[in-house]
Amino acid sequence: MQYFKVTLIRSGIGMPKRVNGILQALGLHKRMRTVYHPVSPDIAGMIFKVKELVAVSEVDYKLSQKEQHELRKPPKGYYVEIPAQEAGRI
Amino acid sequence: MLGLSAFKPTGSLLGGLLWKIPYRLSRHQKYRHRQRLRHVDKVVDTLSSALSKQGVVVKGIERWKSEMPREDEMEARDKYTVFARNERKYRKGIHKVPKWTRVSQRINPPGY
Repeated sequence: MQYFKVTLIRSGIGMPKRVNGILQALGLHKRMRTVYHPVSPDIAGMIFKVKELVAVSEVDYKLSQKEQHELRKPPKGYYVEIPAQEAGRI
Repeated sequence: MLGLSAFKPTGSLLGGLLWKIPYRLSRHQKYRHRQRLRHVDKVVDTLSSALSKQGVVVKGIERWKSEMPREDEMEARDKYTVFARNERKYRKGIHKVPKWTRVSQRINPPGY
């Protein structure tokens, strides 16, 4: 299934009520928030209404908010060794 | 009474009229404006290509594509200025339009 990956890159502050309403309906509550919506004419129409404020790409996966957040995390700087026996190398 | 006086010589106090918004865009503003126009073109392309794969048509998007010029098809005059009824030569800089970085303003009345 194809999805629209929509990120709010420009704030909706000061825009008409209808524009802000569409942002709320899409789940874009603050800047840099990314949401996934299935490709459909009604979602496309909503994105079209706020095209100056968002970045859109078509993807074939959907990430939850938690998974999306994990992508932004910096690397931990360390990793835990697995014993060779457990890893199946012996 | 140097430094103690209440009079602070600012541009507007010395000269009177001071235009805070320059009448034309700087080249860097123009550059960023072109990037924004291209960005909107890209969003519309993404939407229409995703919909065409499903074989659906959204009237509003089709209308935009048929009526609105793309960034590279626009004349400089339409990119950086807009029609204004009360201005000299009926044109003013696009940066005088409220929220000009977040609204689309591409076509002007025919003949102007």
